[in-house]
Amino acid sequence: MQTVFSIGVDAFAYGMVLFVISIGLSVTMGLMRVVNLAHGAFAMIGGYIASYAARDLGLAYAVAVMLAIAGTILIAIPVERLLYRRIYGQSELTQVLMTIGITFCIIGIANYVFGPTLKTIPAPDALRQPISLGFRTVSAHRLFVIACGTAVALGLWYFIERTAFGVKMRAAVDNAAMAAALGVRTEVVYAVSFAVAVGLAAFGGVVGAELLPIEPYYALRYMVTFLVVVSVGGAGSIPGALAACLLLGAIDTTGRYLMPEFGEFFFYLAVIAIVWLFPRGLAGRAE
Amino acid sequence: MKKLAIAALAAALLGGVAHADIIKVGVVGPFSGPFALQGKNFKAGIDAYMALNGNSVGGDTIEIIYRDVPTADPAQSKALSQELVVKEGVQYLAGFYFTPDAMAATPLLEQANVPMVVMNAATSAIVTKSPYVVRTSFTTWQTSTPIAKVAFDGGTKKVISVVSDYGPGVDAEAAFKTGFEAAGGEIVEAIRIPLQTNDFSPIMQRIKDSGAEGVFAFLPSGPTTLGFVKAFNENGLKEGGIKFFAPGDLTQESDLPALGEAALGLTTTFHYAVSHDSAENKKFVEAAAKAIGNPAELSFPAVGAYDGMHVIYKMIDATGGEQDAAKAVDAVKGLAWESPRGPVTIDAESRHITQNIYLREVARADDGTYYNKEIQTFENQGDPGLAVVK
Amino acid sequence: MLSGSDTLSVTGDRRARLTRDAIGVLVILALGIAGYFLFPNNLALLTRITAIALLVLSLDLVTGYCGVATLGHAALFGAGAYGAAIAAAHFGIADPIAMLAVGIIAGSIAGLVSGVVVLRAHGLPQLVLSIAIIHLAHEAANKASGWTGGSDGLAGIMPDAVFGLWQFDLWGRTAYVFGIVLLIVVFVLLRQIVRSPFGMLCRGIRQDPVRIRAMGGSVHGTLVRMYIISGAVAGAGGALNAISTQVVGLDSLSFTLSAEAMVMLVLGGTGSLYGALIGTLAFLWFEDVVSAANPFHWLTIVGALLIAVVLFAPKGLYGSLASYFEHRGRKNP
Repeated sequence: MQTVFSIGVDAFAYGMVLFVISIGLSVTMGLMRVVNLAHGAFAMIGGYIASYAARDLGLAYAVAVMLAIAGTILIAIPVERLLYRRIYGQSELTQVLMTIGITFCIIGIANYVFGPTLKTIPAPDALRQPISLGFRTVSAHRLFVIACGTAVALGLWYFIERTAFGVKMRAAVDNAAMAAALGVRTEVVYAVSFAVAVGLAAFGGVVGAELLPIEPYYALRYMVTFLVVVSVGGAGSIPGALAACLLLGAIDTTGRYLMPEFGEFFFYLAVIAIVWLFPRGLAGRAE
Repeated sequence: MKKLAIAALAAALLGGVAHADIIKVGVVGPFSGPFALQGKNFKAGIDAYMALNGNSVGGDTIEIIYRDVPTADPAQSKALSQELVVKEGVQYLAGFYFTPDAMAATPLLEQANVPMVVMNAATSAIVTKSPYVVRTSFTTWQTSTPIAKVAFDGGTKKVISVVSDYGPGVDAEAAFKTGFEAAGGEIVEAIRIPLQTNDFSPIMQRIKDSGAEGVFAFLPSGPTTLGFVKAFNENGLKEGGIKFFAPGDLTQESDLPALGEAALGLTTTFHYAVSHDSAENKKFVEAAAKAIGNPAELSFPAVGAYDGMHVIYKMIDATGGEQDAAKAVDAVKGLAWESPRGPVTIDAESRHITQNIYLREVARADDGTYYNKEIQTFENQGDPGLAVVK
Repeated sequence: MLSGSDTLSVTGDRRARLTRDAIGVLVILALGIAGYFLFPNNLALLTRITAIALLVLSLDLVTGYCGVATLGHAALFGAGAYGAAIAAAHFGIADPIAMLAVGIIAGSIAGLVSGVVVLRAHGLPQLVLSIAIIHLAHEAANKASGWTGGSDGLAGIMPDAVFGLWQFDLWGRTAYVFGIVLLIVVFVLLRQIVRSPFGMLCRGIRQDPVRIRAMGGSVHGTLVRMYIISGAVAGAGGALNAISTQVVGLDSLSFTLSAEAMVMLVLGGTGSLYGALIGTLAFLWFEDVVSAANPFHWLTIVGALLIAVVLFAPKGLYGSLASYFEHRGRKNP
C-alpha cells in the first residue's frame, strides 16, 4: 500500500513537471495554430539565462527566474517579428521546417556561447531540503514545481477565459479577418500571445531544470515529449493538457517502477491507445 | 571494373613511396549534437599531443581531417570513413566514439590497407573484427570488473544492478555480475531502464524495495547520469546508507561541476582521472586544457585520443611514412610507454591497451571544485571481456 | 493545406506527359552518370543519398499525395534495412536482389501496420501516433538484440556479387550503380502510380475526403493501399542502405531520420516526385559540405538554410521553381 502511495506521489510530481514545461507549447499550437518545434529551444534559453544569473552572477533564485522570463521574451520578440509572423496560417509542414531551422540555429549558438557541458541552476536552500510526508520523503523542489504548475494552470485559465484580452485572442484565432474587422488588432494579439507562450516556456525550462537539465541539445532531446503531451491533451486546452500530463506521468512512472525494461513501450502504447480512443486529443474540439 | 581497381590500387601504393609527404589521419567522432563534448575532447587530446610532440614524424607532416558523426550512425560512419580513405587518401583512421561506428568501418581496413586506432568505443569485440584495429581507450568490461571486487571486499554482499538498456549498459551489467558472483556476492535484481528516462524516482523506489545494500549503475554521461545521481540523493538512498558503485564514465570530470555536492563520495573505477598525480599527466593536462579552452570540459576521451596519437606517431615512424597497415600494426604490438594515465602496454595478441584501473572517490578540492580522488590501484589490467567474446 | 503542384500533371495531354517522364528519367540517368565520373571518390555518399531519396519519395507518397502528416516514416525504411540485413546475417540470403525483395516485403508490412495506426487520427494527433510508432519500433529493435545486434548494430552482412558478376568494392562503384538503377526503376513505377486513377483518387482524398466518400470511394482503404506502396519503396531504400554499407544500426529506425526525411521533402516541395529528389539531394549535399568544412558548428548553418527556404521559397525548392516558370509561361505565351 505504501508503495502505491509512493508511486502516486512520484507520478503526480512528474506529471506536474511535464505540465509546467509543456503548457507554453499548448498556447502556440492550440491558440495560435503554430506547430512550434522551437518551444524547447526557448525553454533552454530561459534555463541558460537563469543558470548564468544564479550561478555566475550569484543572484537570488527568484531574481534569476524573473530575468530568465524577461530575457527570453526579449530575445523572442525579434524572432517573432522577423520569422514567426511569416508562418502564421501557413501549412503545418512549412511551420515544421521553419521552427526546426530555428531550433538548429539556437542549438548551434548555445553550444558556441555556453559550451557543451551541463548547466545547473542552484536552487535556494529551502528548496533543497527533503520534506517528509510521513510514509516517505520527497524533495521540496518537487512540491515547489507542483505549486508552480497549479498556479500556472489557474492563471492561464483565468487569462484566456475571463479577461478581455483572452476573448480577443480566441476571436483572432478563430477568424482573424472577422476579428480585425471588429477592431481587434490581430498583430498585437498574436505578438502578446507569443510572448506569453515564450515566457511560459522559459519559466518551465528553469523550474523543470532539476529533471531536464540544461545543455545545448535540450531543445531537440525533449521536443518529442513536449509535442506528445500537448497533442494527447488536445492542443489549446488547459484542462486537457493538465489531464494528459498527469495521465502520461502516471503511466510512465508506474511502468518504470513495475517493468523498467519495457518503460518505453508502456509510454508509447498508452499514447497510441489514448489517441485511438480520442482522435482529437483528450479535450480536443471538433473542427 | 577489376582492371580499374588494380590500377587505382597500384596508384595508391606508388603514392605511398614518395617521401617528405603530408600524412593524413582521418578522425571520425561526434563533434556536434548531444555528444559534442566528447568529440571536443578527442580534438583536445590530439591537439595536445601535436603541441607537445610537433606535427611531423621523420620529415613527414601530419595532417588531421575531422569528420562528424553526431550520434551512433554506422551507415554514416562507414560512408565518411570510405570517403576519408578513397577521397582524402588518409593513411590512418582514428577516433570512433561509438561502438557501431567503429564496427561499421572495420570491413574497409584490409582492402584499404589502413590501420584503425580506436580512441574510445568500448565494446570488447571491436578488436576481433579486423587485425588492423588497435585500441587506446578502455572497455566497459575492463573498467567495470574491479569495482565488483571493491564492492565485495568493502562488505557489500547484496547488490542491485541498474543499467541503461543499450550495448555498453548490458556489457557493464555482465561484467559486474561475473566479477561480483565470482567473489561470492549476490545480485538481488538486475534492472535495465530505457535510455530516455527523465524521472528516476520510480527506479529509486525499486532499489529501496529490493533490499539491496548497494547499487551498481551504468548510464550514459550527461543528463541521464545527472538525473540518476540527483534522484539517488533526493530520495534518501544515500542517507539510507545504500552504497553506490559504477565505472568512472558516470563521474567524468566534465559532469562534476553539474553533479556538484550530489556526487560527493561516489566510488567508481576507471582508467583515467584528470587529477592523476604524475609529471606526464601534468604536462598533458596543461596542454589539453589549453587546447579545449575551458579546463572544466576536459574528460577521459582526451587521454584516449592523446595516446592514440602516440600510437599513430610510432606507426608512422616504423613504416617510414609508407602506407603499410600490417607493418604499422606489428610495430606497436607490445609497445609500452608512460601515458598520462600511468604505465600502459598495447597487448600484442589482442591489440587492446593493458593499463592500471584506479578506484576513485569524488572529493571536494580546496577551491570548492570537485574531482575524482584516486585511492587504490589495480595494476596492469587487460580486457576480461575478450574471453566472453571468444 | 499542403503546398503542391498538381496543375503540372493535370495539364497537357498524355503524349506530353510521357515526353516529360522520359526527360525526367534521362535527367536522373545523366546526373547519375555525371556523379559517377565527376565524384568517383564520393560514391559512398552518393549511394547514401540515393537510399535516402527512396525514403523521401516514399514519404512524399503519403504526405504529398495523400496529405498524411507523419514523423515516423523511418519505421518503413528501417524495416526494409533490418529485413534485408537479418536475411543476410541470419539466414544466409546474400544475393542482393533477394535481399532487396526481402526489404521490400518487410517495408510493405511495416507500411500496412503504420498505415492502419496512423490513419486513425488527423493533424497533430496523427503526428503523435507516427512518433509513437517510430519509438516503439526503435525500442523493439533495441530489445531484440539477438536478431538486430541492438545498439551495437547488425554487422556481418556480406552481399554476393550482383547477378554473380559485379562484386561490391571499396570504392562503392557497384553499390552506386545498383542504387541508381533501383532509383530509376522505382521512379518510373511511381510516375505510373501517381498518374493512375488510383493516384488521382489519393489526390482527391487529400483535397476533399468528404466528397470522395460521397462519391462512393473508400478513403481509408485507398490510403492504406498507398501506405503499403510507400512501405515497399521505403523498404527498397532500407535494403539498399543495408547492402551498400553492410551494417544496419538503430539510427535507421530513429525519430531523427524520420524528421530529417520530412525536412528534405518539405525543402524540395511536397506533392511532386521531383521535389522529393531535389530536396534530398540538396539537403544531404549541403549537409556534407558544411559538416566537412566545419564539423563543430555546421548545425547552425543548416538551420539558417531551412529558415531561408521558408522565407524565400515557401513552396520548397522545386515547387517554387515550377510555379515561377509557370508564372512566366503564362505572362508571355
